Amino acid sequence: MTVIFVENLNKKFGPNHVLKGVDCHIREREVVCVIGPSGSGKSTFLRCMNGLESITSGSIVINKHRLDDSKTNINLVRQEAGMVFQHFNLFPHLKVIDNVMLAPLKVAKVNKDEARAKAEMLLAKVGLAEKMEAFPGSLSGGQMQRVAIARALAMDPKIMLFDEPTSALDPEIVGEVLTVMKDLANEGMTMVVVTHEMGFAREVADRVLFMDQGLIVEEGSPDEIFSSPRNARTQGFLSKVL
Amino acid sequence: MALYFGDLLPFSSLLLEGLWTALYITLVAMVAGSALGVFLYLGKVGPGKAVSIFCSCYIEAIRNTPLLVQLYLIYFALPALGINLEPIWAAVIGLTLNNAAYTAEIYRAGFESVPHGLREAGKALGMKNAQIVRYIVLLPATRNVFPALTNQLILLFLASSIGSIISLPELTNAIMSVSNTTYRTIEVLAVGGLLYLGVSALLSLASKRAETTLFRWAVGARV
Repeated sequence: MTVIFVENLNKKFGPNHVLKGVDCHIREREVVCVIGPSGSGKSTFLRCMNGLESITSGSIVINKHRLDDSKTNINLVRQEAGMVFQHFNLFPHLKVIDNVMLAPLKVAKVNKDEARAKAEMLLAKVGLAEKMEAFPGSLSGGQMQRVAIARALAMDPKIMLFDEPTSALDPEIVGEVLTVMKDLANEGMTMVVVTHEMGFAREVADRVLFMDQGLIVEEGSPDEIFSSPRNARTQGFLSKVL
Repeated sequence: MALYFGDLLPFSSLLLEGLWTALYITLVAMVAGSALGVFLYLGKVGPGKAVSIFCSCYIEAIRNTPLLVQLYLIYFALPALGINLEPIWAAVIGLTLNNAAYTAEIYRAGFESVPHGLREAGKALGMKNAQIVRYIVLLPATRNVFPALTNQLILLFLASSIGSIISLPELTNAIMSVSNTTYRTIEVLAVGGLLYLGVSALLSLASKRAETTLFRWAVGARV
């Protein structure tokens, strides 16, 4: 079943035409990695999917919610599509456990015991059970990003959006975040991952999209994209990063 | 020239009363001014265009004219409109109105310096704007505002000395009258200066303490 429909998506920042008619359908349980050079519109594309960027024209439908319809409650869409950011964006004044519990308590309005049990379970899952009472400032980048993943999962999203989740991390701790993401993919989470981690894309993705200059230039299985790219721009990009 | 502090002893209660008056008007102006500053800030960044322009003009007018002139206006010009104020109330009102403009700018800077990513994280979790401000932005903003606010408190305390020119018997006024009576000008200025210094140092120390206990979470955090 297709859960994300993106059709002829255009996004302009003033005179700057960033997305120039992106089309993309993503099925339930699919893991899609978006690769491409800086400035190609990957992050903007991702941020349009949960309404962090407004759409200039075209349409996006997420779990039957039309994002281009002003009557759509964007907060409902966001509860169903969790997001993980490049710079983690943990709430610095809240303990790790409270970072994870905040949205369930205030948005989903679950009771405190339930929210806490869930948060403890999620933190254990990302390997941070012993850091529950710590403040984010005392964690390493990799730990912060794993908390951010747990925080997003606490709302029981049907889709997870990752915006360069490992780009701000030291190379030796990238692995711990990718492992958590891999587990999530194996559990059947629908994931859209903007990334520069070609190894991760190759191993975990069902499909890889290559974006350049505001368009999806080429897409296919990891094997097709990485082993036999057809488009000249894909070839050029991969020859530089692989 | 020999310094002799003994002549000041009979006037120690006068100096201490002056210090108390200075502290009193400082604290009242701090509390009232920083509360008024909240409304000025909200008015400035709020949706009402006319209110926003009014608040901006007020803030700029206050911050770009001398406190001394503002106080003269309140104490010497208002009576022409039939409003006569006791020196202490003129000083309290003057310092409050002045302080409000500065604190409004401190709040603005504090809220703007909270990383935008925190708001986005709240949005991405489905939180409403009011919830984002209440649960996500408010505390980091308060933390950012705190050092500037305590600094403002000290500046206000020192600025309270301006009350002396409208014959308010605060510390500087007391210093001048003791000097005029005893002719021990250097001695009384030294003692008075030390009183200002001591109180300022205490305020500074207390605020540092308060900062580390109130914002324990901020150690190592990017805010």
